[in-house]
Amino acid sequence: MKTVNVNLRTPSRRQALGMFGALSVVGLSKALFPSWMPRLAFRRSGAPGDVLVAIFLRGGMDGLNVVVPYAEGAAYYDARPTLAIPEPSRDPLSAIDLNGFFGLHPALRPLKPIYEAGNLAIVHACGSPDPTRSHFDAMEFMERGTPGAKSTRNGWISRHLESAAWQNDSPFRAVGIGTMLPTSLQGGVSALALKSIAEFHLGGREDQLEAMRSALASLYTYEAGSGAASEQLAAHAKDTFAVMDMLASLNAERYVPAHGAQYPDSEFGKGLQQIALLIKAGLGLEVACIDLGGWDTHEEQGGAEGHQAELLAELAEGLGAFYADLRDHMANVSVVAMSEFGRRVAENGSKGTDHGHGNAMFVLGGGVIGGVYADWRGLQPEALDDGDLPITTDYRDVLASVLALRVLNPALEHVFPAYAPKLLPIVRPR
Amino acid sequence: MAVLEEKAGTVSRRGFLKAISLAGLGLAVPIQWAGSTRRAAAEGRLDPLRHVLSRLTWGARPADLEQIRAMGIEGYLDWQLQPEAIPDPTIAQLLQDVPVLSASYREAQRQEAEDWQLGYTLMWTRLYRAVHSERQLFERAVEFWTDHFNVPIGDSAAEKLIDDREVIRKHAFGQFRSLLFASAQSPAMLYYLNNASSDKEHPNENYAREVMELHTLGVAGGYTEQDVKELARILTGWTARNGTFYFDPEMHDYGEKTLLGRTFPSGRGIEEGLEALDMLATHPSTAQFIATKLCRHFVSDSPPPSLVASTAQAFSATDGDLRAVLRHIFTSAEFMESGGQKLRRPLEYVAAVMRTTQLEVVEDYWLLLSALEQLGHLPFGWKPPNGYPDVAAAWLNTNNMLMRWKIAFALPIISMGWVDGMYTPLDSLVSRSDTAADLVDAASAAVLPALSLDPQDRAQLISFVADTADQRLRPHERRDKLPALAALLISSPYFQWC
Repeated sequence: MKTVNVNLRTPSRRQALGMFGALSVVGLSKALFPSWMPRLAFRRSGAPGDVLVAIFLRGGMDGLNVVVPYAEGAAYYDARPTLAIPEPSRDPLSAIDLNGFFGLHPALRPLKPIYEAGNLAIVHACGSPDPTRSHFDAMEFMERGTPGAKSTRNGWISRHLESAAWQNDSPFRAVGIGTMLPTSLQGGVSALALKSIAEFHLGGREDQLEAMRSALASLYTYEAGSGAASEQLAAHAKDTFAVMDMLASLNAERYVPAHGAQYPDSEFGKGLQQIALLIKAGLGLEVACIDLGGWDTHEEQGGAEGHQAELLAELAEGLGAFYADLRDHMANVSVVAMSEFGRRVAENGSKGTDHGHGNAMFVLGGGVIGGVYADWRGLQPEALDDGDLPITTDYRDVLASVLALRVLNPALEHVFPAYAPKLLPIVRPR
Repeated sequence: MAVLEEKAGTVSRRGFLKAISLAGLGLAVPIQWAGSTRRAAAEGRLDPLRHVLSRLTWGARPADLEQIRAMGIEGYLDWQLQPEAIPDPTIAQLLQDVPVLSASYREAQRQEAEDWQLGYTLMWTRLYRAVHSERQLFERAVEFWTDHFNVPIGDSAAEKLIDDREVIRKHAFGQFRSLLFASAQSPAMLYYLNNASSDKEHPNENYAREVMELHTLGVAGGYTEQDVKELARILTGWTARNGTFYFDPEMHDYGEKTLLGRTFPSGRGIEEGLEALDMLATHPSTAQFIATKLCRHFVSDSPPPSLVASTAQAFSATDGDLRAVLRHIFTSAEFMESGGQKLRRPLEYVAAVMRTTQLEVVEDYWLLLSALEQLGHLPFGWKPPNGYPDVAAAWLNTNNMLMRWKIAFALPIISMGWVDGMYTPLDSLVSRSDTAADLVDAASAAVLPALSLDPQDRAQLISFVADTADQRLRPHERRDKLPALAALLISSPYFQWC
């Protein structure tokens, strides 16, 4: 075997920038449909309700420093000597008052106008009732929609799509932004994982591409009964071909957000922009999922500034841009943002917070009835759940309200089996 | 539910945003894949030599097939289980060319501060070793334990370098207890899961929780929230200084604790942490959990319970001898029947592409690392502590499918010499061929050794090459079609499973 002569000093990033897109001698050839692939004949607007955008804030967001119960006074401030967000004042690093009791973290400034427009609802002391403090169990429970039940094999969003009465065979019906599909989208309804719309095409030699594509398609064509694994793979391959061809017509690289919206230059910002693009393109999108991670702030969490503040700025700037970009469409879009659990009321010895329980959850959209909603029991030790904010609103009530009243799901009992959700007055019925 | 009234707010300031987008924590549920995979492909997968190679190596080459034929399955396995006896000149040369891989923490840290290349070096050498090392099974085991004791390249690549070398690589074929102890005292882990700053006043529970949930007992392994808090107290004072482990008595909580029902009397220092870790290492739940994960990685997404049980037994009986446990798995009947049931994860796919095509990369690995990033599998890039997912369901999606094809479809361009710094001697890897059918068979033997194509697929590929199977190819036709043919075989379902 040959030894590679390695030059450590000058790794050129040039090629990495364009990735394998850079290798494509052609961009895209015209749609070259393998014979088995039907022309695009899905119903594009089968869904009668809002497009649902589900944001998962992975790692356990510290909701008490996001939607700050500053009016609790000492019960909040004494528990967090280095992390607490100052109560609202002229200081730009203090909480942004919402209602005389709760205030937004100062980095959430871009959400304030949305709140004032009545398009942002915050549900506090909310979450998944299972007591686990494990990230992985808590996320799985939340995304499967069945807290405590490990045997559930599919996600709540997948069950929602399964139970919807309408037809929509667009491959864009459900999209997860990123390299992997979230658990909430896993199940019987196929969903796309999409990292970059602009780069969703094959490169290769132009003169051979058409023949190669046809041959490739035939290699992924199976006889029925060839096994579940093969059929899964074939289904993904088929979707990949269809999606490549449809995205080719979008000119995603030339997309300009409307109304001067400026998305943060990050994976999350770019992902939201792609969701906006898909919504505007009318490709039959019903549900989009996107993640923002990094909330596991055991150490050096920061207060009004610092690590969590940076994440919050990214979240708020992204949502602010999304809201501005989709202004005319927001009447038909509902965004929900959740995290697997909140964090301890008291900070730890590392200027951070350990895993807790209750948290704040966001709902944003044209159909939202704005406000802060909470069955709030206070932060006195006797009101807490073993040192953590108790959960007084099941997160499924929030999701069910959006699904039933905005997305028009007809079968909540299928989405959240063995649970009778209470519909909350946080959205207007469509 | 009370709706609180809204009042006017005050202006605020945004923190400066530098995009730090972390990988999703999404973990997939294993799908119940059917036992058999693909029509006639099963014929090739059931070839036991091919099957063993596909799990013990990072991609079977024709030369590997010759080797295992000569040695026999057990002979090959035992040879690979003694990596210290396998000459590895390519990697020896690498270590000479990239001295920072053998550097002390201080020296590595100095170099990192100087040129910020250390993280990149760790990533590309991870791939390089997987592809080029003769100690293939050892490199597979390293991959498993890298995920098990996941520490991403974070603030300090120097710490990660030491963790990779002195924890994972040093103990991947050793005793589980030694591996666990080394990890628990590794500065990279101590900082990553915050134990370094955990003190008696405010114990930090992060490491204490994950060491039980992810490293030893498993989430259902029988510990409680109270055990998390107690173990956090036991481990207070386990910190790092100047790149090495340090027990700080000032930070340690000397009070009495109770862990998993055992009382830890007051007044003890570092020794109670060692005792706690020993309890975890030898706990029956740990044997069960490690056995499950190993079988899931090396056998099947849904491993047979009989194999998990016997593997757990082997783990306990050998006091966690990781070589013996692997040997148990690879010599089991259940393993031999699991052909074709594992999907290659992206890193395995890229490494297999490189081994198959003898892809040579000169100077610059950014292109390949960028491809791995887009596949969601950048070496040392997984941020949460549970490591990259290990089941097909997590990786099978449109994005992954497309990226796999894109990489394969780049081969014709690379083989034309159109990509600076990347070369493949494809033509010399595929034996002489006269007709279109010969070429397909020869390419298939090179890319998919010991696997016979389904007749329909073979016919499709022949028609890609020429109008008829017996059409004789001129040299330029072979030059033209061979790389595309290799790309198609690599893009095909055959190459995705192992």
